[in-house]
Amino acid sequence: MEAKKSDVLQGTLDLMILQTLHALGPLHGFGIARRLEQVSRDVLRLNEGTVYTALLRLQHQGWISAEWGTSENNRKAKFYAITARGRTQLDAETENWERVSSVIRRVLRLQPEGEP
Amino acid sequence: MSGRGPSRLRAFAARLRRVLRGPRQDERFDDEVQEHLRLLEDRFVGQGMSRGEAALTARRQFGNTTLLQEDRRALETLPSIERVWQDLRYALRTVGRNPAFAAVAITTLGLGIGAATAIYSVIHNVMLAPFPYRDADRLVFPRIYDLQQGPEIGRQGYSASEVMAFVEGSDLFDATTAALGENVRYRHQGGTESLSGAHVTPGTFTFFGMPALHGRVLQPADHEPGAPPVFVLRYKTWMERFGGDVGILDKTFVLNGTPRTLVGIMPSRFGWYGSDLFLPAAALAGRQAPTREYWFLVGRLKPDVTVEQARAQLTVIAQRLAKTSPDLYPERFGVYVGTLIESVVGPIRATLYTVLAAVGLLLVIACGNVANLLLARATTREREFALRTALGAGRTRIIRLLLVESLILATGGAAMGILLAWGGLKALVAVLPPRVVPSEAVIALNAPVLAVTLAIAVLTALVCGLAPALHSSRRRDLSDPLRDSAKGTSGGSRGRRLRDALVALEVALSLTLLIGAGLLMRSFVALRDVRLGLQPDHVFTAVLQLPADRYVTTEQVTAFLRPLLARIKALPGVAYASASTAGALDGGADTGMEIAGKPPGASRTMFRQVTEDYFEALRLEFRAGRPFSEADVTDARRVAVVNETFVRTYLAGDAPLGQRVRLASLERGAAPVRDAWFEIVGVVGDVRNRGLRASVEPDVWIPSTVARSVVHMLNVRTSQDPATLTSAVRREVSATDAAVPLIGPGRLADLADRGLYAAPKFGFLVMLVFASIGLILVTVGVYSVLTYSTAQRTREIGIRMALGARYADVLGTVVSGGLQPIVVGIAMGLTGSVLLGRAISTQLVGVTPYDLRTLAASAALLGTIAAIACWIPARRAARVDPLIALRRE
Repeated sequence: MEAKKSDVLQGTLDLMILQTLHALGPLHGFGIARRLEQVSRDVLRLNEGTVYTALLRLQHQGWISAEWGTSENNRKAKFYAITARGRTQLDAETENWERVSSVIRRVLRLQPEGEP
Repeated sequence: MSGRGPSRLRAFAARLRRVLRGPRQDERFDDEVQEHLRLLEDRFVGQGMSRGEAALTARRQFGNTTLLQEDRRALETLPSIERVWQDLRYALRTVGRNPAFAAVAITTLGLGIGAATAIYSVIHNVMLAPFPYRDADRLVFPRIYDLQQGPEIGRQGYSASEVMAFVEGSDLFDATTAALGENVRYRHQGGTESLSGAHVTPGTFTFFGMPALHGRVLQPADHEPGAPPVFVLRYKTWMERFGGDVGILDKTFVLNGTPRTLVGIMPSRFGWYGSDLFLPAAALAGRQAPTREYWFLVGRLKPDVTVEQARAQLTVIAQRLAKTSPDLYPERFGVYVGTLIESVVGPIRATLYTVLAAVGLLLVIACGNVANLLLARATTREREFALRTALGAGRTRIIRLLLVESLILATGGAAMGILLAWGGLKALVAVLPPRVVPSEAVIALNAPVLAVTLAIAVLTALVCGLAPALHSSRRRDLSDPLRDSAKGTSGGSRGRRLRDALVALEVALSLTLLIGAGLLMRSFVALRDVRLGLQPDHVFTAVLQLPADRYVTTEQVTAFLRPLLARIKALPGVAYASASTAGALDGGADTGMEIAGKPPGASRTMFRQVTEDYFEALRLEFRAGRPFSEADVTDARRVAVVNETFVRTYLAGDAPLGQRVRLASLERGAAPVRDAWFEIVGVVGDVRNRGLRASVEPDVWIPSTVARSVVHMLNVRTSQDPATLTSAVRREVSATDAAVPLIGPGRLADLADRGLYAAPKFGFLVMLVFASIGLILVTVGVYSVLTYSTAQRTREIGIRMALGARYADVLGTVVSGGLQPIVVGIAMGLTGSVLLGRAISTQLVGVTPYDLRTLAASAALLGTIAAIACWIPARRAARVDPLIALRRE
């Protein structure tokens, strides 16, 4: 069941990255990692390297685009931006996520003896 | 995630792009990662950490960079060699586990590819591109034909002035060339040989655009009057008579009494006019010939001139010429303009097209068979794939596996196909009828066609091999096939319908082939039954070529023939020895004709001069009157024997014997006969003089001594094998006159075989082979498909039997299920054959394309064999022990 767990995590990470790029506009990998850290500090422990795997995957699907530019400290850096297809995908995934999480929430409430 | 289809393709394209872009990508990615780490580090330092601590923490927070690189590569590269190798090994094992299936699939593909390629190669080389000459498709020649006879036969030789009129009076041609055939006697220590020579007009070799292989071609200077006599040799003759010795270049040969220097040897594909050697002729303009010459004229049409325009212009010119020399033109004539290619391939074109169509059908049957086999197998494997998917195999992986399996089968089939094409081509060349293939043609394997047939076959294997993967991917619920298969019923009804349709198609095509073969066989048998009008068995035949310079008068020719025939007749076993001016089964010379007491019209007849033994030697059948006596020939009496067609055509109602006939053409020429009137003394049954299919023409036989001819055919009836006579006859000819060569000695029966039966026999044999292969393929197809589908239903059959179904019930169910598509196929095949009947009708003799007996026999044969192919798996299924069947899964 290892695979399924990472599947969920992977999908969630993709969704979060898409949302970040949607909300903040073009960012480089470091910037995305900071934003995720800022939003989810102490809740999600994330290997920042996996952000790059997710970025590649999203690029393959054509949901984000990448461009070389200059970072705030004048270094060459790759900037990622969400595409139109990416926005559509984000809407669909967000809706899906909310549906699933609301179901899970309801289920968890029904079985209060499941958790301490 | 949803939206898999297009994005999957997109992802694949991205991988491909990155693979193509190469390792530079690795570094850039690494830069990006390093930059990230540096920024993290800076941040931790800013929070008060030491450099070293910050670096460590940054690494910890970032995670494993090596793993990240690997993840990235997995995303960005194509499957590694190891995995492909693994797939290959696995696929080989799968294929090897079912050798019968593999053998059938590979053989089927191989037969289809091999047959199609071999046949098409022959057709391409013989029919589509036989000549190596420049703009070969625009080379045309004119033919003057009698409107009553049609454009197939007529005069293609023209006098020098006629040629000039055609060339200078029209603006049709870029260039022209003319050739005049002459038999060339070549004397050497071993005796005299006869070669066929061609006098060619200046510029002939430029016209054809071919340089010499050794030495040089004829130059304009060689054609000038008074130039040193030279000649050019053909490759084939050079190899056969001179062993390919380059040393003979620039040597002098005595040809027809004139010493000539050999200046060039042509490449192997130059075979113009079918001649052994080429002699320079002076320009035709203003040529004064001592006797009438017949030049064969060939012109290269200007690019924008059509054959139709050429015909119109040349007709106008010919009408004008006919006014000045009316004896050379029929009263009502037309001009046919034929392409050189058409003239060479015309006789065999229909046969080759039939064969081409047949081979196309065969390829479709073969591909259909492979498709069906793969589809049938796929159904049984659906469960395997469901299981694999359930165990975590990605769809890509399964598709790749199937792809590799199909590729193995396709590669095997392709390899076998190439071998078969190569071997089949050799066999085809061996059975091709002689003299129908232009001597310039080189029959070699046609690479583009091989590529196309290979592509078709491989594609079939791939598409049908992948069908199960595509099929299962459409299924949402993966456990579906697992359940389905556990029930032991046949795979989905859709798959079954597709298989049945393919079986029906195969049966229909195969039946079409069978019917074609049957019709051609019956018409070949009918041709065999055509009465020749003479008996060719036990007859020795050869051609005698007398030197024209020493045999000028009729008496000189007779002085040679008489003692020669007496010597041959004295040989042991010889009953009759005769000479004639035309081959026994060929048409004689054509002449205008007049019958005493009837108005002279446009009547024409063929005639030949013969010695008195001719009728007995060939066993012609006399209907009335008598053959020639010895005295008739010795005294050159004006008597004639005519055939039944002559009597029917010109003497209807009159008693033929005693009628007098005038053969006009004898009164002209080099040694004219005055008052060429002949009294009919005999009537013989028709002898085929225009081949087996064309109707017999009026024919007249007159004594050989009436007019001079320097070419005579020997026809000798012997009680032994005629071939054994050759050396004895050669000795007698040499003893009579050492300068006379004996040309083409052999059996008359062989000559008839080659000339009359070879082409139809070829068509029928090839068709028979194809029909047989088609039948085998269909049988195998029906059998294997039914075997697969019954094997799948074993459990179902077991349940039925456990519930009380009897042996006969099961047998009946399976057989009738298998027969359904076959019956449909037979109906389709019969309909198709009737529709296609017209296409083949030109090749049929004595049988219509709708011949009921052939149709019924073919359908019955196919039906019976297919029924047997159904019955064997059905019987096996019906013998199943219900207990074993139920326990099996």
